[in-house]
Amino acid sequence: MKDNPYQPWLATIDTVCEEVGGKRAIKTFKLVFQDKKIKDDFTFLPGQCVMVSLFGKGECFFAISSSPTQKGFIEVSVMKLGKVTSALHECEPGDIVGVRGPYGNHFDVQGWKGKNLIFIGGGIGQAPIRSLIKYVVDNRKNYGKFDILYGARTSKDICYTKEFVELKTCENTNTCLSIDVKEDGWGEFVGFVPDNLMRVKPSPKNAIAVTCGPPIMIKFVIQNLLKLGFTEDQIFTTIEMRMKCGIGKCGRCNIGNLYVCKDGPVFSYQQLKNIKGEQ
Amino acid sequence: MVNEKQLKTEAKKLVARDDVKYVIGYEKGTYGFQVTPCFAFTPEDTERFIFSPLCVHNLAVYFMLEEKPPLRKGEKEDTRKIGVVVKGCDARAVVQILQEKGLKRENIVIIGVPCTGIIDPKKINAKFPHQVKTVDVKEEGNNFVFNINGKTHNIPKEELLFEKCKQCEYPTPVISDILLGEPIKGSKKEEYKEIKTLEKKALQEKWKFWSKEFERCIRCYACRNACPLCYCKECIVDQLSPQWIQRSVNLSENTVWNIIRAYHLAGRCSGCGECERACPMNIPLTKLNKKIEKDIKELFEYIAGLNPEEKPLLAMFKPNDTEETIL
Amino acid sequence: MKVNNMEKFVLPKEKLSEWINKIISTYQVFAPVKEEELIFFKQIKNPSEIDLEFVNSAVPPKVLLFQQTETLFKFTNGKNIQITPTTSHNEKTLIFGIRPCDAKSFSILDHVFKGDYKDPYYLTKRKNMLLVGISCNQPAVNCFCTSFDDSPTSSKHVDVLLTDIGDKYYVEVQNEKGKQLVESTKKLFTPATEKDSNKKKDVEKKAFDTITRHMNIKNVDTLVKKLDIIFDAPYWKNIAMKCLGCGACTYLCPTCHCFDIQDETTLTKGARIRIWDSCMRPEYTLHASGHNPRPGRMNRVRNRIYHKYNYYPKNHQVIACVGCGRCIDNCPVNIDIIDVITKTAEVKP
Repeated sequence: MKDNPYQPWLATIDTVCEEVGGKRAIKTFKLVFQDKKIKDDFTFLPGQCVMVSLFGKGECFFAISSSPTQKGFIEVSVMKLGKVTSALHECEPGDIVGVRGPYGNHFDVQGWKGKNLIFIGGGIGQAPIRSLIKYVVDNRKNYGKFDILYGARTSKDICYTKEFVELKTCENTNTCLSIDVKEDGWGEFVGFVPDNLMRVKPSPKNAIAVTCGPPIMIKFVIQNLLKLGFTEDQIFTTIEMRMKCGIGKCGRCNIGNLYVCKDGPVFSYQQLKNIKGEQ
Repeated sequence: MVNEKQLKTEAKKLVARDDVKYVIGYEKGTYGFQVTPCFAFTPEDTERFIFSPLCVHNLAVYFMLEEKPPLRKGEKEDTRKIGVVVKGCDARAVVQILQEKGLKRENIVIIGVPCTGIIDPKKINAKFPHQVKTVDVKEEGNNFVFNINGKTHNIPKEELLFEKCKQCEYPTPVISDILLGEPIKGSKKEEYKEIKTLEKKALQEKWKFWSKEFERCIRCYACRNACPLCYCKECIVDQLSPQWIQRSVNLSENTVWNIIRAYHLAGRCSGCGECERACPMNIPLTKLNKKIEKDIKELFEYIAGLNPEEKPLLAMFKPNDTEETIL
Repeated sequence: MKVNNMEKFVLPKEKLSEWINKIISTYQVFAPVKEEELIFFKQIKNPSEIDLEFVNSAVPPKVLLFQQTETLFKFTNGKNIQITPTTSHNEKTLIFGIRPCDAKSFSILDHVFKGDYKDPYYLTKRKNMLLVGISCNQPAVNCFCTSFDDSPTSSKHVDVLLTDIGDKYYVEVQNEKGKQLVESTKKLFTPATEKDSNKKKDVEKKAFDTITRHMNIKNVDTLVKKLDIIFDAPYWKNIAMKCLGCGACTYLCPTCHCFDIQDETTLTKGARIRIWDSCMRPEYTLHASGHNPRPGRMNRVRNRIYHKYNYYPKNHQVIACVGCGRCIDNCPVNIDIIDVITKTAEVKP
């Protein structure tokens, strides 16, 4: 644990990969800590996040989209939206950023051993799920059947296309991509992600469902999961909030008495239903 | 003072109308000399309405605080009117907002109260501190009469009135749909005595004066929120790209904030004094606004908030303006 | 003269200046100073600057531990970024004249700044700070510390407590830190007699009787449970309609701790600063995407009240309110928290 939780470690941007172009561009940044000891010792679990500093601009809370099984670096996937993310999108390999973390809770990868996993992602919400996917693939024997549903508005908005191709060769794994509107040359499902879910109809038996994406998608995905027989404690999601400190002190990211940066961002649907607070 | 019974009757009639959503008035506060805004949604709510020399709030501020949540499917927008009880200075704020097209005249109903002067809470609390039970006040001639703990106190109005009330030129609301009582004429003209004294001081002295005041500012922005004319969707102090005022609290940034706010109110401030009343640090904000008001009167012969059809001062020019061009 | 904990002393009023002078030589002393009819806790060099004729300060003394503007660290801009940590504040400080309610607020704020991630800025100052409290002989109209089973003459959260019992101060030493302070200046103190202790009891009773406005809550659990049930009641909308969102309550509250973090830069260098923020402002929770979980004043007002009376007790088993009354005194529209919470008993879910 650092002496000063507000002071970031310096990290260099190793590579920048453009996942999606255009107005709401998404880039994946590979960050390598400058300090060798931190680089070697930094550890986390899927679902956890880091605060990335653009010195002079500010900080943002991002889910780590690489897996802890990948050593020596971390990756964050960032959509260009505001002041800090725009500045980050201007960065090139070699530029220096600050990183502090890992913060938040994580997906219960230990407790889910032996279970069938269904991951449902949409748009940039796929970032924390990507960490989970890589973790599961690297520990494939520990988990059961693996269904991955991912959708975006158009084929140009799909992230991690190369990795989805690789996943097709993974054992006992079913990947189903979708886009919202019909397009020439698109062979997979056309429609919204919740509808794709009803088409795939994964069984709730011995299963865990994780969904991340735009709030409207999550709402209908959870509705459909419940229709399919999933119970409230089988459904997990990540919540996004405006963050400043990331360590549960500045007071802004609370839902009821829980802080998303400390008690989240991973919540079960059962938890969310019972909290008295706004999201 | 105004006939409270008449006020309640008019307010009740107003709220009962189909085309009125609610009416904002005053009601008794929770302790001492406090009065609090009252939102009447039903005719029964208007029973709580009062009007006394303790009704200090400028209720016009609530017009621009009105929140419109996004409409659900098939839901139509609620275009009902909002009613409000205004005094002279409050009405000028409403007129100013109408001039700037911040509000539409047909969306509001104004109950005007000709005002005989309001008691400065700071003065009355200094005289009778720690009052727990709510106290009523009556006007009798040139005195305010209080009944506190069974004893009657007669205090000359001069001792308790706001300074702004002593020089008020527009005690009768310049705009109203319903006027409660006979119009009252304004007292002597505003002479800007205090401002003139400050103006005469040397530059260093003036700077020392204001530095001492702005040092105390804690940038809570209560002044901004209490002001009926501060209704920018994104206040200059909240903008980040670019950032005009740093968030650090120090003399430099505090000075910038207070002066920028005074300038943004140039030609618009109605002199209601809510900013100074809301300021927890007792900063004499109205001095800044009055100085600019005086300059504008001299330069442009313009007084804010009198005629809703008039164009806002800084959005127009006249051929005989002092500057040669509009720049 | 050996000093034992909870041993009581008296200090003649004419000796107070001498004692303060001795303290100033060892500590940075912050005491109540009058400015423009308001009291502020400022650093003093001379006991004559202190003004003890006050109920409470305008800005709560939390500002001495949790600074309004705090530089977290400095950095250089450009291609080769270097971070320079700020030097820690290790000076011994002492707050003289803090009221028991404000001292309690420090104990409440401790929960926030400790925890899994220790805040070095707050905790270093807290560690090096001594509290010499002064009892309230004359609570004000909006004081309600007694509603939380507290007393205007309590020494629980200070190191030494002074109570004005006429021509002298009754001195109570609360702990080891206080003991060391008194020990170092023991010549000025004489042991208290039973008469002195009775005088203190009189002051306490008189102060209790002066407080007549009470927030009627049976106990913390009952209040928390009631608030849980009435979260969705229209009661909150009616209160919030009056609220201007001005934020004065949050800045003047001794237990409010929300803050913002900003980078302030020139072309070549900059600093990351932490400043007070207010949950009453709409931008407080505004996402870059435009979504705002608390879009209306109702959401924000309700969130603030729940944070103090429901969420904080759930997380830390204590209500985040000390009954100082500053929010009531300064609210421009008379939103009165005593009234608001007391009336929740009648609100139907």
